[in-house]
Formats: sequence, C-alpha cells, structure tokens
Amino acid sequence: MSVRVNPMFIDDLDRFGAEDVQLCYQCGDCSTVCPHADEVYKFPRKSMRLLQMGLEQKLETTLEPWLCYYCGQCSEQCPREADPGETMMSLRRWLISRYDFTGIARQFFKSRITEIIAIISIALLTGAFLLFYGLSGGNIHIYDGDGAFLPSPFIHKFDLSVGGILAVFLVLNAIRMWYFVMIKGTTFAVPWWLYITEIYQLPWHFLTQKRYSECERKREHKFYMPWIIHLGLMLGYVTMLVLVMVFIEQLQAGPEIRWQVHIFGYLATIGLITGTVYFIRSRFKKHYIQYKKSHGTDWVFVVLLFIIVLTGIAQHIFHRTGLYEWANITYVIHLMSVVPWLLRMPFSKWSHLIYRPLAMYLAAIRRDALVRQVTIINSNPVVVK
Amino acid sequence: MKNCRIGVYVCMCGTNIAKIVDVEAVVKFVSELPNVVLAKTYKYMCSNPGQEMIVQDIKDNQLNRVVVAACSPNMHERTFRNALRAAGLNQYLLEMANIREQCSWVHTDIKEATEKARALVYAAICRVELHEELESMSVDMCPNVLVIGGGIAGMTAALEIADAGNNVYLVEKNDHLGGNLARVDLTAPYLYSARDLLTEKITRTNNNKKLHIYLQSKVTNLTGYIGNFKATINSLNGKPPEKNKPAEVEIGNVVVCTGYKEFDASRIVHYGYGKLPNVITSFELEKMIRAGRIVTKEGKIPRHVAIIHCVGSRSQEFHTYCSRVCCMTALKYAHEIKSANPECYISDVYIDMHAFGKGHEDFYCRSSEAKTLFLMYEKGDRPVIHKATSKDNCEMLIEVNEKLSGEVIEIPADLVILMVGMEAREDSHEVARIVNISQDKEGWFIESHPKLEPVATTTDGIFIAGTCVAPKDIPDSVAQARAAAARILARIAKEKIEVDALYSEVNENLCSGCRLCNQLCPYSAIEFLEDKKQSHIISALCKGCGVCVAACPSSAINGRHFTDQQVLAQVDGLFVIP
Repeated sequence: MSVRVNPMFIDDLDRFGAEDVQLCYQCGDCSTVCPHADEVYKFPRKSMRLLQMGLEQKLETTLEPWLCYYCGQCSEQCPREADPGETMMSLRRWLISRYDFTGIARQFFKSRITEIIAIISIALLTGAFLLFYGLSGGNIHIYDGDGAFLPSPFIHKFDLSVGGILAVFLVLNAIRMWYFVMIKGTTFAVPWWLYITEIYQLPWHFLTQKRYSECERKREHKFYMPWIIHLGLMLGYVTMLVLVMVFIEQLQAGPEIRWQVHIFGYLATIGLITGTVYFIRSRFKKHYIQYKKSHGTDWVFVVLLFIIVLTGIAQHIFHRTGLYEWANITYVIHLMSVVPWLLRMPFSKWSHLIYRPLAMYLAAIRRDALVRQVTIINSNPVVVK
Repeated sequence: MKNCRIGVYVCMCGTNIAKIVDVEAVVKFVSELPNVVLAKTYKYMCSNPGQEMIVQDIKDNQLNRVVVAACSPNMHERTFRNALRAAGLNQYLLEMANIREQCSWVHTDIKEATEKARALVYAAICRVELHEELESMSVDMCPNVLVIGGGIAGMTAALEIADAGNNVYLVEKNDHLGGNLARVDLTAPYLYSARDLLTEKITRTNNNKKLHIYLQSKVTNLTGYIGNFKATINSLNGKPPEKNKPAEVEIGNVVVCTGYKEFDASRIVHYGYGKLPNVITSFELEKMIRAGRIVTKEGKIPRHVAIIHCVGSRSQEFHTYCSRVCCMTALKYAHEIKSANPECYISDVYIDMHAFGKGHEDFYCRSSEAKTLFLMYEKGDRPVIHKATSKDNCEMLIEVNEKLSGEVIEIPADLVILMVGMEAREDSHEVARIVNISQDKEGWFIESHPKLEPVATTTDGIFIAGTCVAPKDIPDSVAQARAAAARILARIAKEKIEVDALYSEVNENLCSGCRLCNQLCPYSAIEFLEDKKQSHIISALCKGCGVCVAACPSSAINGRHFTDQQVLAQVDGLFVIP
C-alpha cells in the first residue's frame, strides 16, 4: 500500500518553526549523536524524512518528537545546517495542534497576533468579571476574611471552574493522542496488561524528567542546567497549581502565615522565579543551541509566567505588609494573567506537561509489544510463512 | 660480434631490486662475459647521477652497446635512450632487462631470483649485440586541420587552430552550428545562457577567414597518415559544393567532435513516454523553457512537477555508465521551473546525486533551500508512472519505493521530466571506420590512454574531443577541444613530424603479393602497389606491432628492432646462460 507524498506540507511546517528541514539530505549524523535514538524509535533522521515528504498520516501517529528533549547536539552536528533539533521542536508544536480537536492550537502557532488578541481578550474579560464581582459586594480595603474584595471561597470556585475547563480539553486531547498513536499508528497487537505493567512510567517521567538529564550524557557534563532548571520550573508550577486549586482558602487567609501550606508556596516560587528568569535570559543570550530560535509562542509562555510570578509575589508582600488595596489590585492583575495562561495551556507548548509523560508511557508499551511480537515470530517462523 | 663494447648497468632501485636479487653477483657474472667492457651497480640508475655515470662511461670506454638491468622499459626506456643520445650513441643500441617487475617484485627466494636476473641480463646482452643503429624518419606536417562536428567542442577546437593562422575545415552534419548545446536554455550550475555562449562562438566561427565551414556535409573518406591526410567531404543536401570549398582537402590532423545523442525514453516502458502526454524528456522541456512557457499538454500550468534521473543511464539493461550532466541539469530545471512559477512543487526522483564539479555542491544545496523534494530510488527498482484518477487532483502518480524513508510512495505530478542520458551517436561506428579509431562496447571513441592521453587516439594525427569520447559537461568538452588544438598546434609549429624508427618493412625480393597482411594491419598502414604487385608499408602509419611479420607466409616482412635474429638470440640467451 503506497502513501501519497505531499510536497506542500513542508510549507505548512514553516509556520511551526521548521524552517530549515528542506536542507536535510539524510546523512543520519543526527541520529548517530542522539543519545535517545535507538532501533525502535529512529529520530531525528526518520522524522525529518517524513516531514520532508509530507507524510502527515504517518507523522501524526509517531511518538518520536516527544522522545526528544532538544539538547541540540544533532543541530550542532548537522553538516547541512538543517537544524534537526528545531525541527523536532516544530513537530511537537505541530503534534499539539493535531491532538487539539478545536483547531485553536493551530491558529495560535500559526499567528502570533491571533494568540495575543485571544490572551488580551481573556485577560480583559477576567478583569472585568473580577472587578464587577469585587465592586458589587466586596470592599477594596479588605483582602482576606469577611467582606474581602475577592473572597477566597469565591476564588476557589473560580479556580476550579477554570481548572475544569482546562482538564476537559487536556483529557480529550490526550485521548486523541492515544488514539492516533496506539490505534491508528500501531499495526501490531498490543496486549492490554502492558498498560498496567508500564503505568509507573507516567509518574516517573512526570516527576523526574529523567530522559532530559540523559540528553547530555554524551557530552559528559556533570550538571545539565537546562534540565535542572526545567525540572524546578515544572515542579514549581505544578505545586502552585495544586495549591491554588486545593488550598487557596488557607493560602489567602490571614493574618498569620500558615507554614504547612506556605512553605510549598515559597519553594514553588523559588523554582518559578529561577526558571522564568533563566529561560528569558537564555532566549535572549542564545548560549545553548536550543534557545537560538524562539517561536512566538515560547515568548508568550515565559513572559506571561514571569508576570504571574511577579504579581503573585507582589500580592503576597502587599497582603503581609497591610497594603490591602494594593494587594487586591495586584490580585486582579495576577488573575488576569493566570486565566489566559491556564486556558492557553491545552493549545500551547505547555501541554507537553501531559503529552511527554504520556508519550514515554505509550512508547514503553509499544516497545514491549514489539519485542513480544518479534519473539513470537522468531519462535514460530512457520506460522508466519 | 667482435667489435662490440658493451656496458652493463644493474640497478638496485633502492631496495626494490637489491633486497631479492644479489646485484653484486649479477655484476660479477656479466663482467666475465666476452664483449662486456664494464658492469656496474648503482642505487638508482634512473637518477641524474646514474645517467651521468652511463654517459661518462660511454665516452671514457668507447662503449657501443648498453644494457640496463632495472625496471620495465615502459617506465624508463626513454630515460636511458636519452642518456645514450647524450653520449653521442644511437638510442637503439640500448636494451633493458626487466629485473624488477619480472623478477624482484614477483619472487621471494634470493638464490633463484638472482639466477633469473642473470638469465634476463644475459639474454639482453645476447640481443643487444645484434642491435642496429636506426634513424627515425621525419615527414612534412600539413598545417591544415579537419574538424568533424560543429558543436561547442568542434567550434572551440576549430577556432583555436584557425586563430593561429591555419586552415581549418569544419564539417557539420546539420544545417546550423551549435550541436546539442543549441537546444539548451541555461547551463548549470552558474545559469549562464547557452545561447550567449554559442552566439559568440558561432559569430567568430563564421567570420574567421581561415575557417571553412561545410554545413549539411559529411566526411566520407580519409586516406593517408599523420601530417598528410586526404579527406573527402560530401554534401548531404545534394547541392554541388561551393566554389571555395573543395570536396577533397589535404590536412595534417583531424579532430573528431561528433558529440552524442540522447537516450530514447520510450525504451523504458515504466515511464510511459509516448503514451502519457505529460511525460516529456529533458530536451522537450528545454524547448518549452526557450519558448518561455512551461505548461502541460492541456495548456495548464503544472502545480506538481517530477523530475526522474538516470533515464537510460546507470542501469543493467541500457547503459551502465553515468551521463554526468543530468543531475545538475535536473537541479537547473528545478530552479527554472520554480522561478517561472513559484507556486510549483518539484519532486526530484534520483538514485544518487552526483555533484562533483566546481560549483555543483553549492547548486545542490541551493536547490534544497528552494524546497525541492529529493526522493531516492534504488538502482534497478524504477519508478512507475500511472495516469491519476479525477479525485487525485493531479495528472499522474509516480509510484516508487523510496529508499531513504523505506516507504512505498506515490508522488503527485502534472508534468514528468525524464532526464535522458547520453548515448553514442548511431553513426559513430561509421566515423570510427573512416578515421580509423576504435570504440568501446558502448560506442564511445577510445582515447590512447584514459589518464595521460585523453584526446589522442591510437591513430596518429586523429584526435577526439567532447562528448563523442564519453558523456561530459561543457567545461570538460571545451577543455578537451582546446587540449586537442594545443597538441595539433605544437605539431604544426614543428613543421615536420618524427616517426618512430620502429616500423616494419617489406623485402621486395621476397614478397609474393598475396595481400594477406593488407587486411590484418590494425592501423591500415599496408598498401598494395598495383604496378609492382607487392605490398608496401607506410612507415608513418606503422606502429611496429608485428602482426604482418608473423602472418607473412614468405617471411618477407621484417620488423625493425624486432628482427628474427634479435628475438631468437634473446630467447637463446635466456636458456643457455654459461
């Protein structure tokens, strides 16, 4: 069965950042240096080839882009400057847009203006709603407790509803990803119990990002800063997410600090502030190859996160120093950045929070199934013939 | 021979000879032989001090024969002959014994190798005693030149020679000059216009008073030998030759630049050439580009164009060789089509990308930048072109097993361009017969040495240049044409040509006129003298191969420097060493 080549596809991927993939002449240097490429998951060479040939149907079922953490060694090695690392990054953006059934992700990746307009609109809507709510019942001079401008039970409900929307999109997209990879893209039998035996992959990769640290193994660096910082940032915002979704009422309460909750908040803030500063600085300085090219969406992510962290810190300081009016104002601004940032998540690169561990999990299942298949074939050659 | 004074020189060739052959023992053995005046060994006999030693010895000891036991005569015979000449001795009084290639390099046993070396040297001594002084002959060099073929190579060679003030007869089969290049639009990789390249050449060719152009004409006969050929030129259009253009011309040298023809794409059924209207050859595309409109047969601007490489080249069924120009030409098409219509997508279906020339790799890289989709197929696993259905949104689909991805793919195409390879012209064997040169199994003319004599042929005075030798691009063709011109001009400047003294002669007293040798001579050097009813060898044409000597039933032919006595004495010497 032959597949149709689509020479126009490469133009489409331009907008996702794969600007140099046409230069690739398939020497395979990239796959040789890549510490993650192996017999089963051949990348970046194979992925680059599928992209050049425009084999969309094959590409959307691949996991390879998720197995790459973009250390950039391949791009450094590439004799034709085809930038395989950035191509894999672009493929991840494209995959996110494929998993997303609404088509919003595609619009965001392809047009920075659409994304910015969407963010500003959501921010303004959020701001208007919060101001309306606060002014209609609350007192601008009170931050916590009775009569607060934005009372914590209300914020809790507000957070949960935003989180709910987010979760619905994320879960639906993750199901689509599973469908593409395991149903459309898997031609061999996958026994159901592998889903159980490999389940540990999900939390393991989610919490450690172990493979990211292995990226640098070949370069023999003791500590790979991008990995550590990335891990810190991720743990920071996941902790924060849990805090605001579950413990917001204790977080906002005053006057004394509840350390059992706040300690996590402080740690998460350290991770977040270090991470955002580091990544903004890296994207400016471009000292690692993976930061040489920044897609518009990358900037939106870090800049918005930076604003969130700053307003969060300011709000906390104002609250604890008794400047309640200021605390309330920064609170509104904080939420005006948080809501678009969260709602953008399923349609942006940030969704790799879910896709990456899921990809590791599915990759392990497929690998096991494949090995099993080969073993069966080898032990029963007659049956196959 | 009583008055022979032989000097024997045994070379060590560094350790090449000396580590297996005991050279001292050889010297000791020969120095005791009669007629040997002196015997010496030396580290490198071919070095300047080595040669000077020989020259000095000849002068000091009145030597009149020299034997050098060293490497193959192919390597250094000329060197030592020059040494003899420098000492005032006839160069043919030298004999070489090959104790390197035939002895030290092929043996491991020192004792036996030394024994063999002794035999070889002794045989050489026996032979050299019978050597005679031979004088090379010289013949007049006619300064006129015949150039066959009016393409870029032919015109270049003709202009080069005519500009130096010699008459050149340029014979072209077509009614215009320019050859295959006249059918091309731009040239890869620098995208110069072929028309510009040619117009200048054609104008200069037409305006040169020394250049006599015969259009729609053919050389039908060539007789004589280097410096003294006679060519017959016949008109193909039936008109009588013009006044200032004689049908018979006298010339000294010939340059053959008959070019190539393109492979007939309909021979490959997979491609449907001739059946599918939008499958065209590269030359048909050139025509479209020159007309300024790249369209399908239906007049639509193609959205998808596929270019298939190696059509007729690099395959077991057709031609195994690479046609050398198609890869870059294909990239040129990608560029031309893309600039004519930026909306067009180009798929380049190739086996390997040969980008070996100057500027070629850059050109390949730029084609990639322009998003040409390169798809590789396996040699022998050819793509197949089908007509597409209406829902496919394109004219044709090319099915191919893509090697780099391992996928069996379909490539959409509205226009397919077949990069047809180069072939020897169908009349090349006729040309080869007329000018007496050889062809390889593909029909290309054979040069006298592929590396060191790329434009000369085994027939003296006949040169080959351009794509009649093998597929090549414009710079290579021009370089060959100029090389041939330079060789010819050097000969014309000398006015006379030296003919090697090694040729065969017929003993008139013995020749019975059986004419057996006339047919056998590979160089057509033997003529039959009707008045005497005897065969006669044209010494300028004879290469001294010895075929006639061996064939003559009356032993009437004698090969100079390879007389029966000399050869037999050498053979005797090998087996009867004292």
